[in-house]
Amino acid sequence: MTATSKTAPPPPAQVLIVDDDAGVRGALDSLLRSVGLRTLVFASPAELLQATLPDAPGCIILDVRLPGASGLDVQDHLAKLGIPLPIIFITGHGDIPMTVRAMKAGAIDFLSKPFREQDMLDAVAAAIDRDRARRDQAAALGDVRARYDTLTPREREVLAHVVSGLMNKQVAGLIGLSEITVKIHRGNVMRKMGVRSLADLVRSAEALGVSRP
Amino acid sequence: MLLTPRARAPRLPFLPPDHDGLHASASPGSLLACRLAAASLALAIFLFDSLSTFEGAVAVLYVVVVMLAARSARARDIIIAAAAGITLTLVAYVDSHGFNHVGSQTVRACVSLAAIGITAVLALQNQTATKRLAAQARLLNLSHDMIFVRDRTGAITFWNRTAEEVYGWPAHVAVGQQADALLRTCYPEPRAAIEARLLDAGSWEGTLAQTTQAGKTLTLASRWVVQRDHNGRLVGVMETHTDITERRQAQDALLQARAELAHAARVATLGELTASIAHEVNQPLMAVVTSGEAGMRWLRRDPPDLHEVGISIERIVSEGRRASEIVKRIRAFLSKVPAQCNTLDAGALIDEAARLVEHELNRERVFLHVCVAPGLPALAGDRIQLQQVLVNLMVNAAQAMAGQPEPRILSISANHADADASAVEIIVADTGPGIDMNAIDRLFDAFYTTKPQGMGMGLAICRTTVQAHGGQLTASNQPGAGARFVLTLPPASTLNARP
Repeated sequence: MTATSKTAPPPPAQVLIVDDDAGVRGALDSLLRSVGLRTLVFASPAELLQATLPDAPGCIILDVRLPGASGLDVQDHLAKLGIPLPIIFITGHGDIPMTVRAMKAGAIDFLSKPFREQDMLDAVAAAIDRDRARRDQAAALGDVRARYDTLTPREREVLAHVVSGLMNKQVAGLIGLSEITVKIHRGNVMRKMGVRSLADLVRSAEALGVSRP
Repeated sequence: MLLTPRARAPRLPFLPPDHDGLHASASPGSLLACRLAAASLALAIFLFDSLSTFEGAVAVLYVVVVMLAARSARARDIIIAAAAGITLTLVAYVDSHGFNHVGSQTVRACVSLAAIGITAVLALQNQTATKRLAAQARLLNLSHDMIFVRDRTGAITFWNRTAEEVYGWPAHVAVGQQADALLRTCYPEPRAAIEARLLDAGSWEGTLAQTTQAGKTLTLASRWVVQRDHNGRLVGVMETHTDITERRQAQDALLQARAELAHAARVATLGELTASIAHEVNQPLMAVVTSGEAGMRWLRRDPPDLHEVGISIERIVSEGRRASEIVKRIRAFLSKVPAQCNTLDAGALIDEAARLVEHELNRERVFLHVCVAPGLPALAGDRIQLQQVLVNLMVNAAQAMAGQPEPRILSISANHADADASAVEIIVADTGPGIDMNAIDRLFDAFYTTKPQGMGMGLAICRTTVQAHGGQLTASNQPGAGARFVLTLPPASTLNARP
């Protein structure tokens, strides 16, 4: 689906670093800034959760073992709070079960200290890409939803039937309107939804979760 | 020399040099000479008595014969001499005067006989007393300890049989020598101080080292007693020495074995702490590597950001140092250095031990709660050993709570002991299943373990360590749930501590 492009350039990516060790924080921060990324540094998950997070694509680099709270718990907590930022785990000493758990829970990557800088930068790049894609998707969906809200009830009805594969004549017969009226509604729907083909309309409808009436 | 007629009650004698308590003070040669002298004197007196016309009680001179015979210290000789004297007196008298007259010669003869008789009796009594004293002195030879007596100048005057055997110097060589020089004695304190204490208290006890004739060095437990005469003046010192060389060696071996065992236990504990160690070391390592990489990137920029490069390099240096500190700490924990006695703070001790196990606790999802009361007295002891005790207790607690539903709480508190306000009490409590009541008596026994891979040494060593510090370690179950270990330690003021 195509969405109208925003006029503003996409906001720069922000990487959030969470580690209780000052040396580790500083080193990571320096590395990421040296490649032009913006960073925010936290000494504990509590600090992270209390802060207001910027509205920008990004990711979180999180140490799995933190005093008082395991990184995996933080991952759960963030998910529950609806913070969708992708997570890269780092650890000084990890075991396989922990790694598997983290990856199954959706972590981007799991790196052991000391890691090669390239591995970290690759993981960060992948995470930011994923987050940008998600944000774009979310934005697009929001756009579609806004458009759908502008449809009249009749137009919504027509939309539902059209995307289920019926021809105008059949739709007219079903809802008791003339074929011409249906054609006009269909045209309005296409215009309001900002799509140019039936296929695109179907995709938009699916994204919205519009079901066959 | 006549000794006093009545034998005194047994009293350890100050025996002059030629009475070294043996049966015959004279060797066979001088015994023969004595008897010969006595016999010839008797003959001479007899001849003089019978042949000369001297009007004195010549026969009284037989007393000298009896006394010569007494030198042999044999009752038989005295009796023979006395009998001979009496006989010869009578013979001479009869020979000179016959049985007719009873006049002044008779009186003189009777006086002589009386003198001889009395002297014989006295000599016999004296001999009995001497024999008894000699027998008592011989008792000193039965002792397993080395006993010798020295006079005020330090020269040896008596040397018992065990001293001969153990030190290797025969009595006739040892007597007269300076004791300290002969035995090459090493004293635990300055000699003058010991002498002063001896004179003050009348006795001294201590441990010292001496060397035998063969060159072997012995460790001895010694007791000295002063001997005084009637006026209270010091006449000699009796020294008794017990050979404790073997006992000392066994003690040393035991201490050594214990230290080895504690070391082995520390190594085993360290095995359980691998997660902590790996984590601890990897932190600064990562900081070093990543800072280096970041620094390179800052440097490659156009233009290079030298400020950032500087920061990166500083971080590399400080993190590198930190890594070496961690290694040092681990090596110290593993070291076999003998126990040191330093002044310690309970709170710092707990913090350091907690740091060592922090990651184990995190892995087991155990929440650590530490509460240290203010104003606790300083403790004295070996930092590493006491850390080991705390680490052991904490690892045990974490393992006991493994697999339980959360929260798993390990609490450590330090406060003044109830019973003794000057002592410090450290309590390690968990919310685990507690100690099996059937096993609670055996908990601190060596080789008792509930872990499949356990050595069973942890708690045994903990208790031994704590007791060596003058403290106590007890275990009980808490009413709510879980086990509770109470570690009581005395304050540093009651022990000698180097800060």
